[in-house]
Amino acid sequence: MTKDQRPTIYMDKIQGKYKVVSNSKLCDRFWRLEFSAPSIEKHTKPGQFVHIRVNDGLEPFFRRPFSVYRAKKNTEVFYEVVGPGTQIMSEYKKGDVIDVIGPVGSAFKMPRKTTKQIVMIAGGIGIAPFLPLTDVLRKKRKDLEMILLYGGRTKGHVYPMKEFKENGVKAHVATDDGSVGIKGRVSKLFNKINCDPKTTQLYTCGPHPMMHAVQDFAKKHNLKGEAACEEVMACALGACLGCAIQTTEGYKTVCYEGPVFDLAQIIF
Amino acid sequence: MNLSIKIGNAKFDNPVTVASGTFGHAEKYFNLGEVKKLGAITPKTVTYRPQEGNPPVRIVETPSGMLNAIGIENPGIDAFIETKLPAFQKTGVPLIISILGYSPKEFADMAKKLNGQKNVKAIELNLSCPNLKQKSLVAQDAQATAEVVRAVKKQTKIPVLAKLAPNVTDIVAIARAAERAGADGISMINTFQAMVIDTKTRKSKLGNFTGGLSGPAIRPVGVKMVYDVAQKVKIPIVAMGGIATANDALEYLIAGATMVAVGTYNFVDPQAPVAVLEGIKKYMRAQKINDIRKLIGSVNK
Ligand SMILES: Cc1cc2nc3c(=O)[nH]c(=O)nc-3n(C[C@H](O)[C@H](O)[C@H](O)COP(=O)(O)OP(=O)(O)OC[C@H]3O[C@@H](n4cnc5c(N)ncnc54)[C@H](O)[C@@H]3O)c2cc1C
Ligand SMILES: Cc1cc2nc3c(=O)[nH]c(=O)nc-3n(C[C@H](O)[C@H](O)[C@H](O)COP(=O)(O)O)c2cc1C
Ligand code: FES
Repeated sequence: MTKDQRPTIYMDKIQGKYKVVSNSKLCDRFWRLEFSAPSIEKHTKPGQFVHIRVNDGLEPFFRRPFSVYRAKKNTEVFYEVVGPGTQIMSEYKKGDVIDVIGPVGSAFKMPRKTTKQIVMIAGGIGIAPFLPLTDVLRKKRKDLEMILLYGGRTKGHVYPMKEFKENGVKAHVATDDGSVGIKGRVSKLFNKINCDPKTTQLYTCGPHPMMHAVQDFAKKHNLKGEAACEEVMACALGACLGCAIQTTEGYKTVCYEGPVFDLAQIIF
Repeated sequence: MNLSIKIGNAKFDNPVTVASGTFGHAEKYFNLGEVKKLGAITPKTVTYRPQEGNPPVRIVETPSGMLNAIGIENPGIDAFIETKLPAFQKTGVPLIISILGYSPKEFADMAKKLNGQKNVKAIELNLSCPNLKQKSLVAQDAQATAEVVRAVKKQTKIPVLAKLAPNVTDIVAIARAAERAGADGISMINTFQAMVIDTKTRKSKLGNFTGGLSGPAIRPVGVKMVYDVAQKVKIPIVAMGGIATANDALEYLIAGATMVAVGTYNFVDPQAPVAVLEGIKKYMRAQKINDIRKLIGSVNK
């Protein structure tokens, strides 16, 4: 979609105060926050994100953006504790009220009719936006083969991919130290990709070097793909122009024109 | 209760607006029924020609605030008038259009293009953007400030606001120069030049190397500057700098501001401008003040 066809944002609906339903540690550094936000559950498309005000006061000052990990009965966010904001989040208790903007941003495009294999290539916490994608595709496109190529640092960083498996996704793992799956970078798993431009669709989210490798691979084999990007954000509503990244069409805002972009468009 | 105020011959129903660059460039917030309640909308600064802005990273969080180095990314005045302005006009809310030229003539030419545009109630001259790699800012020089104001005033009857920079020895001198040159009001303050260093890489955290500091961290400095200027100029002041709550806005009004703008805090709470307006009303009711003009500059000494 081009900029002007984007749905308009209905502010009264996209900012709300919601109750925490649960907040639990999954493994090593990964946490999962669940809150009840009917309008987010109703409107979210896979790839979109929420912007959470982690604290009432002025520290930390910005809200923090998180992909919607699941929007079914409740809204779920899958997060890694990396700094003060996510530290505060990890202390949320059931019943706490949080101020959330969302859903915002662009969504993944659904695969074409001719698509037979979809390949999700994720590094670390970059796995988060893909669960809702498989939630949707599992129902809509029973014929699809869905594979996940996942790279993590070590065992503690590998999320048990139970829900992905329940959605019929075949997962392949690579870790830097070989403690799970094969040893090495996620690019070592690219041999699982069926390199047919007509029938294969790529999706990627993770660190820039990884997405760059996916872009190179896609270009070489003429495959179509989409990338979910990250940038530090202030407003998450396309207002401040602070989250710009470089693309072949000039600067674009990750929060409004993204976070999902055509993979070929991004200049890493 | 009277909340309406005037800048030059332009009347605004209430004194609350948004600071340029913090309220989007397009229709993004316009469905907010509440936008209609604002006294004015001030869109992001436009330049004569399109500008693509600075390379990322463009923003960084700081204690109670942020640095930005956006670099006035905008489509240029012609495209702005054609593609963006109509949506702003459609809201029915009075508009304060912020412009930035690289010479007095560019400023004047842009002002001319705004003549006759529906709902454009004031023109704000951005004399103070710190992110454009200029050697110095117009607003750091009294004479240069006066020159731009005079050039613009010759081309338009729309009230003109001069937006000043806080990075000066004596902001009162600049404000007075703008007033003498015919400005109808002063907007203040723009951001403070600032930088944040990543100690791991020993690099600046911003693509542009330096940026401008804004947010609640700068508010007390802004209040003092507004107070100082209000003592010495007669034209109204549109105050911004760290306003988050009605109480913050009231400080500025009491210090002498006629209008107040919510800036950076929009990013934390996009509904803040309306909350500020409601809070001002509540305060006036509680204090039995029936006219906002009785509040303006009412600081007790
Ligand atoms: C669209 C989008 C979706 C995201 N989805 C998820 C998600 O599903 N799960 C998750 O754990 N994280 C996600 N992130 C990243 C998450 O927002 C940051 O990890 C978080 O803001 C860090 O906050 P903090 O205060 O804990 O750490 P900070 O001290 O603020 O940052 C710690 C480190 O994270 C980096 N960082 C900070 N903010 C961002 C940001 N907005 N984007 C990228 N890096 C950042 C900093 O540069 C620093 O290196 C997403 C980011 C974006 C832009
Ligand atoms: C992201 C961002 C972009 C800004 N862009 C502009 C701009 O285009 N023109 C302008 O005159 N001021 C701009 N400003 C400055 C604000 O309008 C305001 O003067 C300043 O931030 C102080 O107010 P605040 O602390 O409430 O934000 C910008 C500020 C921020 C944070
Ligand atoms: S975060 Fe403000 S435009 Fe994207």
